[in-house]
Amino acid sequence: MYDLTSVLEFDALSQVRPGSSILISGPAMSGKQRLAYDILADGMDGGDGAVVVTTGDGAGDVVEEFRSLVPDMDDAQLGVIDCRGDGGDQEVGNAHVHHVSSPGDLTGIGIGITKALEGLHNAGNDRGRLALISLSTMLTYTDKKTVFKFCHVLSSRLDSAGYIGVFTIDSGAHDDQTLQVIKQAFDGMIDVRDAEGGGREARVLGLAGEPTDWQRI
Amino acid sequence: MYVDMQTGTVETIMSNSDLPVVLIVEDEPDVAETYKLWLQEEYEVRMAQNGDEGLELLDDSVDVVLLDRMMPGLSGDEVLERIRERDLGCRVAMVTAVEPDFDILEMGFDAYLSKPIRSEQLHETVDNLLDRSEYDSLLQEYYALVEKQATLEATKSSAELAESDQYDDLTERVAEMRDQLSDTLGGIEDDSDFIATLRGLSEEDNN
Repeated sequence: MYDLTSVLEFDALSQVRPGSSILISGPAMSGKQRLAYDILADGMDGGDGAVVVTTGDGAGDVVEEFRSLVPDMDDAQLGVIDCRGDGGDQEVGNAHVHHVSSPGDLTGIGIGITKALEGLHNAGNDRGRLALISLSTMLTYTDKKTVFKFCHVLSSRLDSAGYIGVFTIDSGAHDDQTLQVIKQAFDGMIDVRDAEGGGREARVLGLAGEPTDWQRI
Repeated sequence: MYVDMQTGTVETIMSNSDLPVVLIVEDEPDVAETYKLWLQEEYEVRMAQNGDEGLELLDDSVDVVLLDRMMPGLSGDEVLERIRERDLGCRVAMVTAVEPDFDILEMGFDAYLSKPIRSEQLHETVDNLLDRSEYDSLLQEYYALVEKQATLEATKSSAELAESDQYDDLTERVAEMRDQLSDTLGGIEDDSDFIATLRGLSEEDNN
């Protein structure tokens, strides 16, 4: 089981089953990526592996970010699939880094994930957390049907690896129907939004029992 | 119509349309015959002695292609490329003399078998590839249901949804289909299932 409560204090997140995939949904600039990174960094502190599929940050920036989030990190605990389509010459140490031509290259992303999981396994990580940032960018490269299927297939792969996955989506960038479709590919969802009077709040849906109330984070 | 590679005669076979169709592309007649003997009880088997013949015999009805990599004339890699260009949706297993590395998946094959092949192994591979095609069509069906459900959710109020039998029915079918998907292939069992399934998605997307 994965306990995410040190990142987000919700009972529903205290025992997340291996193989679960969680959608992190919220408007632009609401800290979704931060939250996903924190969930991964928290796992690394406890010895879990981490895989980041990124459509925005470069692989070197991701590695740098995690080195500062997890001071004791061993590079070999981290895999990055950089989908921005530039070859990338940033310093990445011993992290398992793979470059993919575009966020629409699903086969390439799959191969990158497979290699990262293999690298992490060989480095002794049999538990881990994957973050994909972001589905919104993928949706600009390919249609919702393909993204839905991709999420479903990736979730199945994470299930057999015993990993959990967190996937971010910008709730303001898509129509309701698209959001409803994408949600269906996930076991649960963390909704984030700006709180009145500053700060942010979140709620958890679908992982255990009824949706939780909004809670300041 | 079926062309017997041994005798060169053309015979019409009782069309056994229920059986999955396996096309063997193999230049060594003894080897091809052996595969056929092993498979013919369960599948409709077609045989081609080289890549050109293989491409001629290939149509929508073929489910699985066993493709020898090293053949005179068109190589297995070239045949694969033409198959993918034609968007036929069949699954292709490469038969090779050497144990390949990961690059096989990147090259676009769905599975590989290294020689010498045992009967059991051949059956397993063909069955697994047929399961994958089954998985793909289930996933397609699943998506269609999810999309309908999402349309209702996006256009109706929660009070309307609570009263809608159609919505109830859809929700139930979505749940059933999800279970059925994880039973097929055990979800996604290994790396080659994973990559091959994703490749299928990208190909559909290009259509």
